[in-house]
Amino acid sequence: MGKRGSVFVPFVLLGLAGAAHAADSAALNDGAAWLKKMATASRQQNYSGTIFYQHGNSVETSRVTHFVNAAGGEFEKLETLDGPAREVIRSNDQVICYLPNAKTVLIEERNRSARNFPALIPESLHGINENYKIRTEGIDRVAGYDCQWIALEPRDNLRYGRRFCAELGSSLPLRAQTMNEKNEPIESFAFTQLTLGGQFSRERVKSKYAEKSRAQNWRVDRSAFSMAQPTPADTGWVLTKAMPGFKKLMEAKRSLGGRTGAVSQIVLSDGLAAVSIFIEPMVQPQPAQAASHQGAVNIFKRVQGNHVVTVLGEAPAATIMQIANSVELKQTTATVQ
Amino acid sequence: MDGISALMDGELDEHPARHEIARLKNDPELRDRWDTFHLVGDALRGEPMMSAGFSAAFAQRLAAEPTVLAPRRASRQAKRVTTYALSAAASVSAAALVAWVAMSGPNADSMLAGRGTDARLESAGSTSGASAIPASVSIDGTMNEYFLAHQGFSPSTAIQGLAPYIRTVSATRPAEQGR
Repeated sequence: MGKRGSVFVPFVLLGLAGAAHAADSAALNDGAAWLKKMATASRQQNYSGTIFYQHGNSVETSRVTHFVNAAGGEFEKLETLDGPAREVIRSNDQVICYLPNAKTVLIEERNRSARNFPALIPESLHGINENYKIRTEGIDRVAGYDCQWIALEPRDNLRYGRRFCAELGSSLPLRAQTMNEKNEPIESFAFTQLTLGGQFSRERVKSKYAEKSRAQNWRVDRSAFSMAQPTPADTGWVLTKAMPGFKKLMEAKRSLGGRTGAVSQIVLSDGLAAVSIFIEPMVQPQPAQAASHQGAVNIFKRVQGNHVVTVLGEAPAATIMQIANSVELKQTTATVQ
Repeated sequence: MDGISALMDGELDEHPARHEIARLKNDPELRDRWDTFHLVGDALRGEPMMSAGFSAAFAQRLAAEPTVLAPRRASRQAKRVTTYALSAAASVSAAALVAWVAMSGPNADSMLAGRGTDARLESAGSTSGASAIPASVSIDGTMNEYFLAHQGFSPSTAIQGLAPYIRTVSATRPAEQGR
């Protein structure tokens, strides 16, 4: 008995120490686990509902429908309910925007090798931990469903804070907020009505403008992205200063609607926010610099030699501007210009 | 420079105010700064951006009627940015600064105050002086393609699904109207 006891004690102590350590990181792991669950739910759940989008003083309401077919194919439709009619249709990795007022169709395509890129993978969650303090907060109620708040507080002012409220059963995010450095919401999404589940129906995720746009010869702006190689392409452009916490997610030459030549795109991400850098030849005179924003997305455009650099992403204006100002043509490939 | 700032904030008595106005009248560089401060203040208060000809028009008006330059009562926000603008005026063009404030809205002051000024100082770029006001409202319809091309790479899109795409087609964007 005595012998056995002496063997057991250290085990018990070890177990307790392990439990304490686990409790410390449990909150963080819990938050990270919720992020993964939300991403999975957004991709795999069938749902339809009304979403309220608020940014600055503007409010817009849209209807969102998301279905997954038997083969795992994803189909989603977003249609605005107020203001001019607009529709966004996603069929797997093809996104089409219909702008009936402008009689314009915008298409963004990806080939299969670039499908589901980027997935919210453990590496990117590691990035999130480095750049944000993740914690779970209280339980709330949105659109009649109970949900869990998950907060991501930025560790510096190079990025915005985020809060998500995930439905307890399905993990679908019912509310999403982006906060500035004063912790004031600058953009928020919220379901005001939601139906979870439902049978896949191709009809409900089809555009009502698909035929009309063809019949009336609406202008079509086609953009395409393909990952030609497993390794990212070298566009010849570099960032002279690394933006802390942001890593290069991809770099490629691609087509962009309305442009004749290839456009270089470099995407940086801190695990949660992404910033895209587009570099293209300047075809007509542009202001030396221009800035704008749309919700939590800041945009900064500047002329760099005979190219135009456009940077946009869900990050503070200062971050976007610094990235834009650090874009340069690589010295060794200067002749390409 | 402090005198100009105080003039703008309405903190000067009559005599020093007259002195500053006289300096403004005679010094083009100071006039540029005055110009900048007001653009910044107007942008912060959400007033429409002034045209690129503002500077020249202002100079003419100043030459003709110095007395119309009554010191303006600046908001607390504008004053804080003014302080920043003073320190950075040497290397930041008025244009870049105004673009900055215009896109950041009412929170610009805390951003400017909370961070080192290096980010903005780098922004002078090739813009020269207040005559090149950036087209902060004229980023045109071509932005939609960038939004679409960007959105799919964002992890937050992965978390939220299609909802963030509403930014691409948002009604408040001037882009769609231009098409």
